[in-house]
This record gives sequence, structure tokens and C-alpha cells, in this order.
Amino acid sequence: MSVPLSQMWAVASYVLKQRLRGNTRYPLVLMLEPLFRCNLACAGCGKIQYPAQILKKHLTVEQCLAAVEECGAPIVSIPGGEPLMYPDIGRLVKELVARKTYVYLCTNALLLKEKLDAGLFAPSTFLSFSVHMDGLREEHDEAVCRDGVYDEAVDAIREALRRGFRVTTNTTLFDGANPLRMREFFDAMMDLGVEGMMVSPGYSYAKAPDREHFLRRQRAHELFSTILERPKRRWKFNQSPLFLQFLMGKQDFECTPWGNPTYNMFGWQRPCYLLQEGYAKTFRELMTTTKWESYGHRSGNEKCRDCMVHCGYEPTAVNHTFASWRGFRDTVVATVSGRF
Amino acid sequence: MTEETLEGWAPEIGHGVALEAVIERAFDYRGNVTVVKTDGAELEGYLFNRDRDVPAPFVQMFDRAGAGPIDIRYSEIRTIRFTGKDTAAGTSYAAWLRAKEAKKPASGA
Repeated sequence: MSVPLSQMWAVASYVLKQRLRGNTRYPLVLMLEPLFRCNLACAGCGKIQYPAQILKKHLTVEQCLAAVEECGAPIVSIPGGEPLMYPDIGRLVKELVARKTYVYLCTNALLLKEKLDAGLFAPSTFLSFSVHMDGLREEHDEAVCRDGVYDEAVDAIREALRRGFRVTTNTTLFDGANPLRMREFFDAMMDLGVEGMMVSPGYSYAKAPDREHFLRRQRAHELFSTILERPKRRWKFNQSPLFLQFLMGKQDFECTPWGNPTYNMFGWQRPCYLLQEGYAKTFRELMTTTKWESYGHRSGNEKCRDCMVHCGYEPTAVNHTFASWRGFRDTVVATVSGRF
Repeated sequence: MTEETLEGWAPEIGHGVALEAVIERAFDYRGNVTVVKTDGAELEGYLFNRDRDVPAPFVQMFDRAGAGPIDIRYSEIRTIRFTGKDTAAGTSYAAWLRAKEAKKPASGA
């Protein structure tokens, strides 16, 4: 695992504190969506299909900071839309870093070089650019429905690394992914020098243009087992090794839908980052009034049946690490040995 | 794959159509709608939320200019018309696939 020790410690101490307090439901990562506007229209994305007045709107920095404060999670992930299109992204990140919050800025990197040149960001342990990369050139450009995006993203990653920024990648896998090409892709990202990679199967968004290529559970287990069975020592993943074991079918986890709560211009999204079943006005209202038992693989909810996405299962993996000696041992063994 | 869209639907409540069901469809719709109130007033915008589990159920909207959120009680709504373009009924992926196919050199020539 490639997460810096300080970040590991921040998360570990936060989780232990919650457990000592007897909190069974607590957030790990706030998914903060300041806007829905994007400069791509990816086939598998169901996040950006809104009327013009909604796409033109965005949260204020003050609204964002209030949500971060209200939520209290040690990590804030800023997806969207494309967060580099958010006019106050520089100020927002600066404020979050000043609060010692770990920020993952999830970007397609098309605007990254321009924003770095403009001096919008300063390198920090608390800031990581999490660049969307769905595979090598052919696969990535197809996933984002535009030629040339892979090359632009690679150039931007190189530039960010040259300037001393933390850079990770986030990859969504769909049915039809070629395991050998994925292994080559991991090599290519390591050659670039990124700090670590995040992988997850996609979710079949009801509003996504392409809903035919999402992975069912068994197929996902087969695919991730083939890709990760003999991982190279040089591959670094910026996520829990237990989550990767879950993707391979070696761990039987249930979803933790409150683990990555989502805030955007509509409010606190019920129940998770992927499903939009309504909005709460406050984080407390979200946590106390959402019918959590109606969600997750074992709930019987059809929308959750095949979902294995990291926003629901990575929090489970992290909790598992601290819930028992066995969980802790499994995590340490996987981290030290590099085997999943 | 062509999907059915509710774009243009103007249901009359009470003719086998319940207001609650129409509100659910409007909540799921990714386009602007026009809420017709019981006093005859109309509000066009994006209906992004509804809460049925409170003593006075309500919907929330941003109007066409993006102002809001505006809360409207279920009891104030006569019907909802699906007047705006359904942004989720687009064919961007299909168009991309067609463009990719067109770029490929003809085989078997």
C-alpha cells in the first residue's frame, strides 16, 4: 500500500476514536461535489445529466467548508463534475489543506497543467490529484468517449509529479476489460511514477448512457482475480488490500453506505454516492433518518445486488482492519507481502 | 438502445394517476418540469428532492434561473408537466460508437 504513514495514522486514530466512543456509523471519506459540470461525457457516468441551470450552478467555498466541518471525516474526496472547472477550486483546496484534511482531487486532468501553471495549488502531503485513468490509451479514450484524453492526462501527471505533487490514479473497470492489458496499464502507471492506484468496478447508474457493460458480481470476482492474482511487487495501490481481496472474492463484505457520504448543491445524498433516493438538509438528518437497512448486498435491494464499488466497500474493509486481530493481521500480511 | 422518456408528459391527476406517483416520476426525471399549483400558479424548474416521510410532504426545486431551493408542499400541487428536455435520454455514447465505427477503415475491400 502506498498511502503516506501520516495519512494512515490519521485514519487509524480516527477509526479507533470512533470505536472507543461506541459509534457504529461514522464517515471515512466525504464525497464533496461542488458542481456537476464536466468537460467530458463518459459512457459510464450518470453524474452530469442535468438541465443547464443546474450545470451552471456550484456550491460556494463556505458551503463546502461547512459540509466538511459538519461531516468530520478525515478525508475529503472532490469529484463532480470536473472539479478543476470549479472557479474557486484553488481556495477550497487551500482551506482544506490548512485544516489538515486529506484531499483527493478527482480529475480527468484535462485542465491540470493549466491550473498548475496558474499557481492554483501548492504541493502538500494533504493534497493528492486522483487522476481518472480507465486503462491504456485505447481503453481510456473509449471510456471517456474522446480521442487524445489519455495522452493529455499522462502529460499532466508527469507535470504534476515534476512539481512535487502527490498523484494517484483511479480506474473503473467494466465488463470486457482485458486482464493482460490492465496489468500492462498498472506497469505504465508505475513507470510514470504515480504514488498509487485505485481500482473499482463501475456502477450501473440509472442515468448513464451505457448501462450494458457493468460487471455482475461473479464476473467481477473472476476479472479481478485474474488481474491481481500474482501482483507485481512494484504495483502500489492507494487503497485497502482487504478491499482488493473483496474484489477477488476472498473476503465477504457487506456495504457501508454511510462510509462515504455525499454532499452537493442538493444537500446530503441518500443513501450513498451512487444512488439518489433523496436528500437530507443536514448530515445529522442523513445519518439518523436514512433507512440504512434497505441498502447493501444482503438487503435484497436490486439496486445494490451487483454493486461492489469502493465507496461502499472500502469503508467496510477499513473497519474490518480495526474490528478484530484477524482483520488487522490480514491487512498487515497483505501490505507487507504485497499479495492479496 | 432507445429508452422511453417522459418528456412532454402532462398527466391529469385523478384519471388513474396518483399525484404521489407523478411526483416520484418527476423526482427521477433529469429535466425541467412545470409544477402546477392548486391556485393556478406555475413554477418551471428542476425538481431535485421530495420527502414523503414527514407530516407535511414536500418537493424541492431550483427554478429555471437556478434560484432555490424552493419548497412546495404536496397539498399545494395540482399536477406536474414534464416540459423540459430529458437530459438522460441523450445518445452521446451511441453517437461515440457510431463515430468510432465510421473512422475504422473498411474491411474486406
